[in-house]
Amino acid sequence: MSPIRRSLLCVIGPGIVWAVHFTTVYALISAACAPRDLIDYPGLLLSGGLATVFALGLCLLPVLCPPRAGPPELIRAAFWSGLIFSLAVLANAGALVFFQSCGG
Amino acid sequence: MSVAEEPAPCSGARMGEDTTFEAVWDTPKGWRVLSSVSHRVVGRRFIYTGFVFFLIAGVLALLVRTQLIVPGNDFLDLETYNQVFTMHGTLMMFLFAIPILEGFAVYLIPLMLGARDLIFPRLGQFGYYCYLFGGIIVLSSFLFDAAPDGGWFMYVPLSTTDFTPDISADFWLIGITFAEIASVTAAVELITAILCARAPGMSLAKMPIFAWYILITAFMIAIGFPPLIIGSILLEAERLLGLPFFDPLAGGDPLLWQHLFWLFGHPEVYIIFLPAAGMVATMLPTFVGAPLFGYGFAVAAVVSMGFISFGLWAHHMFATGLPILSLSLFSAASTMVAVPTGVQIFCFIATLASGRPRLTTPMLFILGFLAIFVLGGLTGVMLASVPFNWQAHDSYFVVAHLHYVLIGGMVFPLFGAFYYWAPHFSGRMLSERLGRWVFWLMFIGFNTTFLLMHLTGLRGMPRRIATYPEGIGWDRLNMLSSIGSYILAAGVALFVYDVFRSLRRGPLAPRNPWGAATLEWLYPPVTPGFNFHGIPPVHSREPLWDQPELLEREAHEVDGLMHGLRDGRRETLGCDPVTGAPLYILRLPHPTWVPMIAAAGLALMFGATLASVYWLCALGGVIALAAFAVWAWEPSDSGVERDVGMGTTLPVNLVDRRSHTHVGIVGTMLVLMALFASLIFGLLYLWNTQPQIAATMAAPLAVPSGLAGIAGLAVALFGQFTRHFALQGRTGRAALLAQLTAIAALLSGASLGWALLPVDPRATAFGATLWAIAGFVAINLCVVVFWALFNAARKLAGRVGPGQSLPDFNLATFAKGTGLMVIISAAFCLAGTLGGAAQ
Repeated sequence: MSPIRRSLLCVIGPGIVWAVHFTTVYALISAACAPRDLIDYPGLLLSGGLATVFALGLCLLPVLCPPRAGPPELIRAAFWSGLIFSLAVLANAGALVFFQSCGG
Repeated sequence: MSVAEEPAPCSGARMGEDTTFEAVWDTPKGWRVLSSVSHRVVGRRFIYTGFVFFLIAGVLALLVRTQLIVPGNDFLDLETYNQVFTMHGTLMMFLFAIPILEGFAVYLIPLMLGARDLIFPRLGQFGYYCYLFGGIIVLSSFLFDAAPDGGWFMYVPLSTTDFTPDISADFWLIGITFAEIASVTAAVELITAILCARAPGMSLAKMPIFAWYILITAFMIAIGFPPLIIGSILLEAERLLGLPFFDPLAGGDPLLWQHLFWLFGHPEVYIIFLPAAGMVATMLPTFVGAPLFGYGFAVAAVVSMGFISFGLWAHHMFATGLPILSLSLFSAASTMVAVPTGVQIFCFIATLASGRPRLTTPMLFILGFLAIFVLGGLTGVMLASVPFNWQAHDSYFVVAHLHYVLIGGMVFPLFGAFYYWAPHFSGRMLSERLGRWVFWLMFIGFNTTFLLMHLTGLRGMPRRIATYPEGIGWDRLNMLSSIGSYILAAGVALFVYDVFRSLRRGPLAPRNPWGAATLEWLYPPVTPGFNFHGIPPVHSREPLWDQPELLEREAHEVDGLMHGLRDGRRETLGCDPVTGAPLYILRLPHPTWVPMIAAAGLALMFGATLASVYWLCALGGVIALAAFAVWAWEPSDSGVERDVGMGTTLPVNLVDRRSHTHVGIVGTMLVLMALFASLIFGLLYLWNTQPQIAATMAAPLAVPSGLAGIAGLAVALFGQFTRHFALQGRTGRAALLAQLTAIAALLSGASLGWALLPVDPRATAFGATLWAIAGFVAINLCVVVFWALFNAARKLAGRVGPGQSLPDFNLATFAKGTGLMVIISAAFCLAGTLGGAAQ
């Protein structure tokens, strides 16, 4: 993969990871808190926690191991994209940490 | 410079009638101008039409403010008031904000990127006419005294036949869905144009920042509009056919409409804001005299906003009884989006600080944007907090917030853009003196109107009420807000006067009148219709600042690729989507009526549906299909090579993943997948929230479900094999495989229908949604059948030469996407069967 393509992937990648993580957390909350009651609350916490750790690791990649070559603007964009989406993943997970049940 | 002076004989290449560059690109004269496909013409039409809708919607807003100017007013009756505020919101959001910004993008993107036109000019014309006809359908509701009155969000159950038995809601659903075709087609067109037609050397990192904003916005439209299109179709189906998607008694859910609407509605705010912010990011460096601070930061911020804005939709639904955990998730995302927005604003402030800004009229509007939008953003963060949101919900505080965001974030930059790019439309400058008056009238009027509304809302005044009693603390605030709205309107009226005045008396604009850095100012502002005689290699994001050779000569003498290439065809350069390296020559269509006829056929179909004249509806459909077939029946020029100058020889078209048509197909698949995903979301939502009623549905048949899945796989595989043989030049085999693809598509559609035979779509919402999914997949399968047979027919008619395998290449991608949809649909049917219906 060419350096410019790699740095572009590092800009877009964290966004895709955030989107998948958001959808996962939303789906888990829907599974636990809707009338069908598919999973229990501890199950929600466990799976949500695992998804968060995984997503956070991926989002932080461009921050901790930034692309070595490529246009400097895109390398900078990759760093900030990774940082912003890492925060956003944590914010998604915040809902799971601060509440003890679907009702709060 | 080596250029081909005369058309060289080459197999498969069609020659035009006139080889003069100017004649080839000339805009048709007289009434034939309606057949123009040029991005300059289509972009301007979007802008002018959008502005007319803005003026109409503005008049409606003045009616609203006049009604509320004093307590107990009876200027408008209640019914008319509902119609007026509904149409105000509808026109502003659907027919003004997005189309006018797309118009600017359609006009500016090729000029900024060094392309001679957009890549799919006919699609642009088709989109424009869909927008125009859709807008006329919506507006014509006034003539029939059937203007929609259910709010611009058309909430159910208010908009169902039980509570809106007349056709006012149908006008909204059909007209808006039709007009939205324009947004989606423009999105595909812009994505492809930005990725595939840039000047040599313009990598993604060297693109003007405006192109990044538009690229992300176009992707957002491609993903964000489908949920509303699906929602509108489902609601219209409920109204027309009695399918109970939103009826709780049959397992439907009114909240499903809100989810689908706001899945579109919230990203739409950013879809409106981002292009306007892109305009600011383009204009600001010009007046500061320094490049945009933090290009990389801005790109990261725009990408982040593009993603995160899809995680906010439910903050419009905080008062609907969603689980607290869900509220917290959406509250967090709503707060998080402030981070990239803030990064962007700081980039603008840092740019301001990096030079000595010239306080021109566009600059005033930029400063106005910064002040107003930041305030709107701050109240947005307040509303992201659930407890505050519950207090302020449906009050005038929210009205104030949304106008601060939308007028501050979009209208002020837009007016700045009018003053900045006015020379492109008339060749003349607008008045600086009048411009300052326009700005201050609008700024003072706006803040008088909407700043006070925060207080009105905090004092408890709800939205959408037609009048109010006196003496409860709302009287004076409403009076002042109404006066402010008149001042704001005076500013807009003065602008309109300035435009007409400048057409006769405005000073003629010189080349690059503002001293800007981007390529749209390379030529004198008004040209007969062409963009670049030669497409210059670009080494910088500010080419007119950093490459002085571009402005040293007359524009038509500037060196560049394709200078002097005379095929008598409209042509531009196709490039590598990432690096911007020139890859091929892109041949573009000349003026044609076909897209307009296709749009007119669709308008007839939609209009006849409204009037319940179904034979006319079918006729409209047939006209549209016939037009699409003529559109597609075009000889291919692939396989021809031309000398484009500067020592470069390029082929015409590229049979490759980087080809513009393939990128366009991928963009289209993105839209189709988003439509499909919206339906799947609806299915899972109803299954999850209405388990008892979903369980009463009869199970789909197992064997046909399995057959459908297998046939879906066959569609994908045959499509891929067709591509394989076409690339090898084995035309006969490719034609056979194309026919097999069509047969597999027919079989999978039939199997899916067979599987669902026991399911009564009127009995349960879940069943109706399964049928809707099958219907959607069936439409895609019909496209596969039509396309595959069309490709086969071209081969059998001897219209396909060696190396002309692009249609098969593209069909394979479409067939794989459709095959995937069939397999997923079949899997859901099978899951319903194995799980004992929908238990």
